[in-house]
Amino acid sequence: MQNYGSNNDLDEKGQVMTDQPKIKVKFEPKPKPSACPICTIEYYQKFFDIEQRDVYMRVRCSLLSWKPEFQQCVAKNPDLWGPLWISTTIIFILFAGGNLSRFLLEEDKKHFQYEYNYMYVAVFLVYAMAFVIPIILGFIMKYILKSELGVFDVVCMYGYSLSVYIFVLILCIIPYNEAQWFFLMSGLANSTIFLLVNLWDFMKKSKPTLMIAIPIIVFNVALILCFKFYFFRLIYAVDD
Amino acid sequence: MEYSNQRPPQNYSQMDDQKTLDLEESVSETIMRDLRMIAFKLKYVLIPKEQEDNGKELRNWDLWGPLIFCLVLAMTLSFKAESTTTSTKSDVFAIIFVLIWVGAFIVTLNAQLLGGKVSFFQSVCLLGYCVFPINIEAIIIAFFGSYLPFVVKLIPVLLCFAWSAYSSVGFMASLVPPHKKKLAVYPVFLFYLFLSWFSLIV
Repeated sequence: MQNYGSNNDLDEKGQVMTDQPKIKVKFEPKPKPSACPICTIEYYQKFFDIEQRDVYMRVRCSLLSWKPEFQQCVAKNPDLWGPLWISTTIIFILFAGGNLSRFLLEEDKKHFQYEYNYMYVAVFLVYAMAFVIPIILGFIMKYILKSELGVFDVVCMYGYSLSVYIFVLILCIIPYNEAQWFFLMSGLANSTIFLLVNLWDFMKKSKPTLMIAIPIIVFNVALILCFKFYFFRLIYAVDD
Repeated sequence: MEYSNQRPPQNYSQMDDQKTLDLEESVSETIMRDLRMIAFKLKYVLIPKEQEDNGKELRNWDLWGPLIFCLVLAMTLSFKAESTTTSTKSDVFAIIFVLIWVGAFIVTLNAQLLGGKVSFFQSVCLLGYCVFPINIEAIIIAFFGSYLPFVVKLIPVLLCFAWSAYSSVGFMASLVPPHKKKLAVYPVFLFYLFLSWFSLIV
């Protein structure tokens, strides 16, 4: 008896029954492997495979920063939509809000000079914080400190940690020194606690991994100092 | 197969006729034809009633329209920009120019990454044409802005921003699956917000 397939029974007509139904398979040419897989759109499409509700849940996770729920929220599906558009929104708020804050303080409102440099500095600062620093940290964590988190997981986490600054920076338009410091400090606390709490599982393993907390804290502090002393500096007296 | 001694196929000679017609017509005719095409597309994009065939006209995308509107906007705003040195005027021109093209590129890329099947240039073309209302408000504010209080200036800005956003949102939202619509539309909203903000403050 010959073996035609897994099921060798004969049906009533005497023909061999096979488990697989007869399906027509269209021949699809295999996609050409590109020379640079990281440069194709398809590589990044898997980081945009989220829905509106997911973004809302992740932002909510980041605002309630003391709960270490972010990895559950992300569920092994890190996205780049959040980091990209949260950081772009922050750039807009810095540019518009920073100048608005100066305008509110200005006595001579008719001759107010808009500072366009805010745009360049904001782009550099925010994209560095949202992408360059997490990519470097992610590489260090993954390849030197052997973490299970991938580089894009870290980028995703950093991007969502900046979401609190959207609200903080809008409030910082109010031109009162103490108010601005208060809002910036609470933003700093929220953002840093979010990062540390969610990386705690990784950090508590050994002393070297604990050291990763230092650059995280340092960069966050540097960020709000830049916000305060460049974008929202208060002019107390006009120098002649 | 040799064509060297044979008559060329019929369609080639028709194309040749068309090409000689193009070359023979005057420059003003060519320009008017292009302008009419831009005006037609503009009406199509900005007045939703005209879109009876569900956006198929956009398949004939062109980048002349977007380029003209981008240049007009950048020039209007940079002329109007207050400056003690010329660097601010060129700053504004550069920012607007880069903002429009890089912004349109990134918004389209975002829609593609979210799974939208759209031709890249079709989407850039649409976003560029929808910059036209922002042009209108920039010109209004450039000429009449100094005579109007701030609150009155806000009205054309908000109206034109709403018009731009409304015209492009329909197209962008139709590109992506239902649960991702807001994710594709928010960048469009941010893009026109940036541009409207510029025309307001300059």
